[in-house]
Amino acid sequence: MPTMKTKAASPKEHMGLSTRQKIIKYRTFYIMFIPLLICMIVFAYLPMFGILYAFTDYTPFHPASFVGLANFKKLFAQAGFWQAFFNTLQISTTKLILSTVGSIVLALLLDEIHTVWFKKVAQTVVYIPHFMSWVVVASIFTMFLSPKNGLINGVVEAFGGKAIYFLADEKWWRPWFYIISVWKEIGWGTIIYLAALSGVDMEQHEAAIIDGATRFQRIIHLTLPAISGTIVTVLILNLAKVLNLFDPVWVLQNAMVINTSDVLETYVYRMGISGSQYGLSTAAGLFKSVISVLLVTIGNKLSKKITGEEVL
Amino acid sequence: MGVNAKDRFSFAKGYRGRTLFLIFDFLLLIFMMCMMVLPLLKVGVDSVDPTSYGVRLWPKVVDFSAYQKILGTPSIYQPFLVSVFTTIVGTVFGLFVITMGAYVLIQKDMPGYKLLGRLVLFTMMFSGGLIPTYLTIKNLGLMNNLLAVIVPCSVSAYNTILMKSFFASIPNELFESATIDGCTPFGCFWRIMLPLSKPALASVGLFIAVGLWNEYMHFILYISDPNWQNFQVKVRSLILEDGLSGTAITLSQDMLKSATVVVVVLPFLFIYPFIQQYFTKGVTLGAVKG
Repeated sequence: MPTMKTKAASPKEHMGLSTRQKIIKYRTFYIMFIPLLICMIVFAYLPMFGILYAFTDYTPFHPASFVGLANFKKLFAQAGFWQAFFNTLQISTTKLILSTVGSIVLALLLDEIHTVWFKKVAQTVVYIPHFMSWVVVASIFTMFLSPKNGLINGVVEAFGGKAIYFLADEKWWRPWFYIISVWKEIGWGTIIYLAALSGVDMEQHEAAIIDGATRFQRIIHLTLPAISGTIVTVLILNLAKVLNLFDPVWVLQNAMVINTSDVLETYVYRMGISGSQYGLSTAAGLFKSVISVLLVTIGNKLSKKITGEEVL
Repeated sequence: MGVNAKDRFSFAKGYRGRTLFLIFDFLLLIFMMCMMVLPLLKVGVDSVDPTSYGVRLWPKVVDFSAYQKILGTPSIYQPFLVSVFTTIVGTVFGLFVITMGAYVLIQKDMPGYKLLGRLVLFTMMFSGGLIPTYLTIKNLGLMNNLLAVIVPCSVSAYNTILMKSFFASIPNELFESATIDGCTPFGCFWRIMLPLSKPALASVGLFIAVGLWNEYMHFILYISDPNWQNFQVKVRSLILEDGLSGTAITLSQDMLKSATVVVVVLPFLFIYPFIQQYFTKGVTLGAVKG
């Protein structure tokens, strides 16, 4: 009897209901789960079967027929695919590192302020950009960085430089993409760290002060270890989202900078939706899904090693 | 509070380092705040001042003609209403589906409890991808149907798990005694769980609402009928294609674009300070661990 162990462990089992009786007892709950189940089936599980299109030559003008690994061969021969693949890895990791470090530093700076009104105003202001859509943010920065009458080029010209079309320049696109991403999310990211910092044990700090530890030493040896669990948790939760680059890249990208800016999602969109090559673009999209699963699984395992707890 | 007691401005010995650090900290944070506001301020100035070029952060002329022009463009009202509609309907729908699902996911004694939890979690880790999802929606005949936007943007595994962890913190004895008093499972959910979860409902509801209001990708994927485009798509096309022009030779393009951005952002800035606390609570709802 495999159920013997659980019987001893759970007191409720003593009521001695069989599984069938339990299912009847919980019937209302199963019904309550149906709406969520339908949403998940239609928008998450049915599309998973669509991955099979990666092995067909499906287009709107051509019914799907099995072609084996031909799409992958074709894909690997395209320079644009590899470019999008490596751009995705580079842009997402850099963005993740910059925004995580930025948010932690900003949270530490905010945490040191005990003037309540100032802290509140500062928090309110730095959270604002998070609520603006990427469409709006892109519009704001396209004008802000415009070579015609943007503020940044105004400053450049005031110092005798020549106006640069930042968002259409291969050298400048990525730095500005990171700056804009950090601008948008750095403040929002602090919320979780501030909550964790408010739980840091002050007695340890007092003891450290008596022992002559400097502020910087206390941050490195006391504060950061105390919030390391939160940092790992947030990092792993963000790993699942970090490859979703469609909105920011799509609205900031233009034909001049396709080489440095194209990521898998925008590549797939152009090939699949605009170009209608369903089979080929499904194969390309599969890479994004696989990288994503790998990142989350590895992150989860690392978290178990570091903090002894799995996040997911 | 020995650490906080040092928090007064004084250059006496022993306080000096702390005070210098605080001044540095304040200045740095003020600088950060300026950086956050600067692009927004510039857009505001550009929207009323046709002569504002390059470095100027205060309008010389105040001219509201760009706003008149935008608010007098009839084609922006339909997308605005579509945005309002999808946001309201989606938030109510999403909250309903998520809370019911999350309530089921805390029934630890229910057969299949673990399986259902894993079904939800798996959608967070793996997805079919852009094109398979697009083709599924297309084959189901949901193209140009707002359902194709509302459902995936309002029902997410992440929010369900967030809700579930909040529900799990509410003592189970409440429901046991209510059940003995003759309360049905749905009655327990509707009359006990939901009223006790108002803070979580507010936070998750606002997350869903902001996400729906800002949604862009799902609209360009699934909605091609211009009558059902939302505000974000309209704003994007106004700004990209100079969609306001026609008679706009008298107004500078940048002034019109800036005014468009202000019209989109300003209403939110007014209500934001009043609802900010719900957002911050929502972030810390499920995620802070040790």
